[in-house]
Amino acid sequence: MGNDRYDVVVVGAGPAGSSAALLMANNNLSVAMLERGPYPGSKNMSGGTIASMPFQEILPEYWNIDGIPLERKIVSDELWMLDNDSAVKMGFSGKKFGYAPYNKFSILRYKFDKWYADQAVAAGAKLFNNCLAIDLVYHKTGLLSKKVDGVVLEGGDIIHADLVVLAEGSSAALTQKIGLRQRLNPADMTLYVKEVLELPSGKIEERFSLEGDEGAVIGMVGYPTSPAIGKGGIWTNKDSLSIVVGAYLNQIVNKGLNPLQLMERFKSHPMIKKLIEGAKPIKYLAHTIPKGGFKKIPTLVDDGVIVVGDAAEMISGRRGIDLAMITGKFAAEAAAQACALDDYSRETLSSYVKRIKGSFFYENMRKGKNVEEYFNTYQDSDFLITKAMNDLAFKYFKQDLENNKIRLRKMIEELKNMQPLQKTGKDLLYGLQNWEVW
Amino acid sequence: MGNFAKSDTNPLEYVKIIPDSKSHIFIKDDGICIEECENKPCTYYCPTRVFYWEDDSIKILYKRCIECGACPFGCPYDNIAWENPRGGYGVVY
Repeated sequence: MGNDRYDVVVVGAGPAGSSAALLMANNNLSVAMLERGPYPGSKNMSGGTIASMPFQEILPEYWNIDGIPLERKIVSDELWMLDNDSAVKMGFSGKKFGYAPYNKFSILRYKFDKWYADQAVAAGAKLFNNCLAIDLVYHKTGLLSKKVDGVVLEGGDIIHADLVVLAEGSSAALTQKIGLRQRLNPADMTLYVKEVLELPSGKIEERFSLEGDEGAVIGMVGYPTSPAIGKGGIWTNKDSLSIVVGAYLNQIVNKGLNPLQLMERFKSHPMIKKLIEGAKPIKYLAHTIPKGGFKKIPTLVDDGVIVVGDAAEMISGRRGIDLAMITGKFAAEAAAQACALDDYSRETLSSYVKRIKGSFFYENMRKGKNVEEYFNTYQDSDFLITKAMNDLAFKYFKQDLENNKIRLRKMIEELKNMQPLQKTGKDLLYGLQNWEVW
Repeated sequence: MGNFAKSDTNPLEYVKIIPDSKSHIFIKDDGICIEECENKPCTYYCPTRVFYWEDDSIKILYKRCIECGACPFGCPYDNIAWENPRGGYGVVY
């Protein structure tokens, strides 16, 4: 492999890297894809669903492709605001989502990423497993200018390429090393732990009111991560459940929280316990998600290099995998243009940045900036709003002996005692923006 | 500070790790841990408890690491160096 030359070398074989490699190979570029684990997906964890519309941009009608490891088609999406022994539930269940083109599917990354990388290989990309890139190599283009010209592997071998695509995920060692990404603060990331729990499919369908290969996702706030701002969640795979919990890293650190203990506590909640009863843990995973948002987006291109996916901080709310795929696609488009021009300079590659700036998620990320700031200022807002909703719902549904006018007055009184109504309204508004996504 | 009650469960029972012969995690300066770091948060925010405090220094059980990427950022003194394990080594989900 030493001193081979390709048009493109893609560092990382996750959803961003495989999307880029697949589409570049389709465009007849020679592509090497590097995976540091024994196989793609072996190091990866995620919120566990892929969205249909973005994925179709890359593989139309992907659900018909032979062997694709989709777990369940998601027809039910819920948000639970959890208190100690109660929950206020909101959600949508729709049979519409059960038919093509579907809305989203649950997946397990250690199966899906492997399959997806194989699609890139089938298109002509070359995949190297167990292969860690530790640096980039440069090529002089002028007296003072240089461009990226490949990667250095541990052991010293070099793979040369006109273009390097950094799809190395959240930790993004190379992106940081070459100065495209600034160091993140613990407030700029969340830390999640996850378990996969084996449960017979019949039981899953019974407990979550599903039929056949339908699936459900439940996002949860409040209790699972209190006193930190974070989320819990549970969703259905074919014959297992995925359960996650996590929060902003700075809050975990400052509030003395242990993620494993959060998981244990979450699993013992009376309403969660029932859902996972008898299920056998088969995996334990942990990962950080870059949540620096808009203000921490790295420099996305330089001479001979493009950054995509998590490495580029392309996370908007609970959307990450699909953004990774789309940025991979944008990178492939920019690469095709650069190859046609035989010019991999920053100027040419900046068409990638233009595509990102014109995308739906860039606008969402720009707006999301305020939400992140809000939650760092008011770290108790999640707790307050969850508590308030549970107390109100309790009173609302309780059959008591008072007339409605008094009942309503008491409910408002209670809300006011907690904090000014205006602030509660604001908490709710920001909360909904934060929860919209997972 | 949160509740420090520790559970008996060992999630590493369900994790496959191919450990390298040398560590990929380092404390940059032991002195900072002793003199400046009061809470030693690495001993609790790590999801697999790679870090523990003994004999006036942080000990690192790198073979427990599942590569979540939190430790270098969570350390309030930027005193933890974490590198990717060599290709093929480390956690295999």
